[in-house]
Amino acid sequence: MIVYILKRLASIALTFTVVSVIVFLMMHAVPGGPFDGNDMPVSDEVKAKLNASLGLDRPLYVQYFKYMWGVLHFDFGVPFQSPGETVLELLGRAWPPSLILGGAGVLIGAPLGILLGMAAALRRNTWVDYLASAFATLGLTIPVFVTSMLLILVFAVWLDWLPASGWGKPYSWVLPIVAYATIPLATYARYTRSAMLDVLNKPFVTVLRAKGLSERRIIFQHVLRNAALPMVTVFLPMFIGTATGSIFVEAMFRVPGLGAYFVSSINLRDYALEMALILMITMMFCVSYLISDILYALLNPRIRTGGRRG
Amino acid sequence: MKSLLKLAGAVLVGAVLSGPMQAQTTVYSAGDSTSGTYMDYMKTVYARAGNPEAVQLPLTSFDNNYDLNGLAAESWSQSEDGLTWTFKLRDGLVWSDGEPLKASDYIFALQRAATTGYDFAWYWGYAGGIANWDAVTKGEADVATLGIKAVDDKTIEVTTSAPKPYLPGVVSLWYPVPKHVWDKLGDEYAANVETLVTSGPFIVESWEKSNNKMVLVKSPTYTGPWQAMVDRVEIDPSLGAPEVGLPAFMAGESDFSYLNAGQIPFVEQRFPGQIAKNAVFAVSYLSFDLSSAPFDNINVRKAFQYAINRDEMTATVLKDLAIPGKSLLPPGYPGYNDTITAQAVFDPEKAKKFMADAGYPNGEGFPEVEIWYRDQGGYNGAITAPMLQYLQAQFKDILGITMNIKVMPTKDWMAGLLEKKNNLFLAPYEYDYLDPSNFYGIFYNGGRHDHRIAAYDELVAKADSAPVWEDRDQLYRQAEQVLIDNASFVPLVHPITNAVVSKDLKGDGTLPNKLGFAPLRQLALYFYTHIEK
Repeated sequence: MIVYILKRLASIALTFTVVSVIVFLMMHAVPGGPFDGNDMPVSDEVKAKLNASLGLDRPLYVQYFKYMWGVLHFDFGVPFQSPGETVLELLGRAWPPSLILGGAGVLIGAPLGILLGMAAALRRNTWVDYLASAFATLGLTIPVFVTSMLLILVFAVWLDWLPASGWGKPYSWVLPIVAYATIPLATYARYTRSAMLDVLNKPFVTVLRAKGLSERRIIFQHVLRNAALPMVTVFLPMFIGTATGSIFVEAMFRVPGLGAYFVSSINLRDYALEMALILMITMMFCVSYLISDILYALLNPRIRTGGRRG
Repeated sequence: MKSLLKLAGAVLVGAVLSGPMQAQTTVYSAGDSTSGTYMDYMKTVYARAGNPEAVQLPLTSFDNNYDLNGLAAESWSQSEDGLTWTFKLRDGLVWSDGEPLKASDYIFALQRAATTGYDFAWYWGYAGGIANWDAVTKGEADVATLGIKAVDDKTIEVTTSAPKPYLPGVVSLWYPVPKHVWDKLGDEYAANVETLVTSGPFIVESWEKSNNKMVLVKSPTYTGPWQAMVDRVEIDPSLGAPEVGLPAFMAGESDFSYLNAGQIPFVEQRFPGQIAKNAVFAVSYLSFDLSSAPFDNINVRKAFQYAINRDEMTATVLKDLAIPGKSLLPPGYPGYNDTITAQAVFDPEKAKKFMADAGYPNGEGFPEVEIWYRDQGGYNGAITAPMLQYLQAQFKDILGITMNIKVMPTKDWMAGLLEKKNNLFLAPYEYDYLDPSNFYGIFYNGGRHDHRIAAYDELVAKADSAPVWEDRDQLYRQAEQVLIDNASFVPLVHPITNAVVSKDLKGDGTLPNKLGFAPLRQLALYFYTHIEK
């Protein structure tokens, strides 16, 4: 098992390096730099001085190795768009609101979605199913900024119960979290319904019923357990998605999160931040897949032995 | 007796609590800049954080009628040869840390800008015409040779390479830098609220890096004109988008909000009389690469000139968002003239004739062209897509040509324009200072379009330095006529912005000017110092 983990760690290091090289080259291959794009062009002399102030006058390979050397020492540089702090400090302040928003959204939305999906599957082709399916479909198809606008209109403007936007006291978190929760809610509702229907139609369920097991025991002990496997697969990327913030929800509710930085770092050619964000996502995916691989390996010895019988 | 004493005590407590205490007035405002860089206009203009214009004191500034007012400068005069301007500073001006505000702080600001890389450097070379500016920015001359000098603590002398009659307006963007603070902290002094020292009517109480929300409070040390009339201003950049700003306005969380096209009819009904319109002194125009086919052919460019129905476009797809753009200069801007605008007519027959003369009758044989425009928010973002779709249909209908549309990030668009990667662009431009030379500078001696038309350059150079306004005006007219005759560009529209303003907000800053427009935050310092609540 240790050898397996070491191999996977080596594979992660290789993936990380390859991604860093590709992203670095792509960033610099895109036309324009941090000081292009103003209404009046910056003169070559001024641009040279500005580039030198950020170390962008050096050869690309020097810039790359310097940056990666810093990364190895947890120094991701200084974001061009916020020079009074380091990239790590920026992530330290911008990430928590995104994590709260996304984490709470998933923790609220996923269980509700599972319940909705179960209700739909167990009452198939009844008004419960139609209502739940319609709700889930609407949740997936209505853009989240429209949902956000409706929530603001109803709860902030008409009822005056909650603030329209902002991220101060916890009660101001309610609307953005509810808006965000519609996505995992709808996703899980649809996945649960189809997964449960799939399992409910399996022959072993008929056998269980023939054996005289109670419907409750069949559903909770057997059907839900088997139906949970595909849902676990959905959970991982969804969780990583929440950790990187939601651009639309954060913009609509003025949440000072990480979402907007994914866009601004690209638009502003904020190379240090852009690299840091991509490397962060890469590492999160690598680590999460490592964890799931280890779990699979623990559950299934054939994986850790590469399928060979000893 | 005891009851009387109790009553007297209660009255006294009530009087103490209610008497001297006054609620602070706070204005909640949308911000313009989402940047978190430096709150220092002299460090970066295009990426500046917050509103340095509201906390630092320029030498002069424009009010909402676009009349020039002296702020740090009490008076100014021009030498007889027109090459030297002398600005006298007011007495009693101090920084927010109590240090006196000196002429040397202004000199240092420009010296640093000339030597350390300043994204607005073109302005002081072209508009300011400061002697030796270009040589110093190129590193060919010592900074001491710059045409600026602190004669004493209260006197600034500016020498220009050619007479600059409009220099007092140009220096409305000349802000000081606290040299005594910069000597200790460098540029970083303006990157954090703890170290930021200001000279204007407001100081910065807080700056939340998480969303660049800033709270400005009335400066206790400021003694100059345009004193703040409210105690606090909360400026939140995330309220800038109308989609976010209007709901916040309706929930009472913001005192005004910009409006998008879809919101205007609703707001007209819901908040009648509360919409403020503003001409932003900007233009959107078609720009060609004059050196390559098919736009190297003047007849093709002329065909485009006559194929645009600006009146219909602004009455339909751009209703409430723009007015017809028939010249480079917008209405109300100094130098705007009817002689030029009268020539911008919609004449489909003439357009077709020019296409035929160019060798493309009914568009036959004309290559498919692609117009590039930049992805932007704000007023440009609102008008570009519908305008281009309208033009696409009109060009197909009248000229028989196919014009594809491509949107791209601003940086790529600008790189494409400068490096001539395409031959057709939709270009927007907003004024930087209030003089015709600002707009004519776009095409001067290359500018951002690299047109280099000798006759035009000569006329603009003459107009820029002519001492008498009437002479300058005539020369600029002639210069624009050269552009029109050459069909170097095609003006399309002048955008306008719409905002809904709370009834609680009062003061000259909210009122329409003599042109009927309310510039609001466009003149940030004037606006924030001329509002009450």
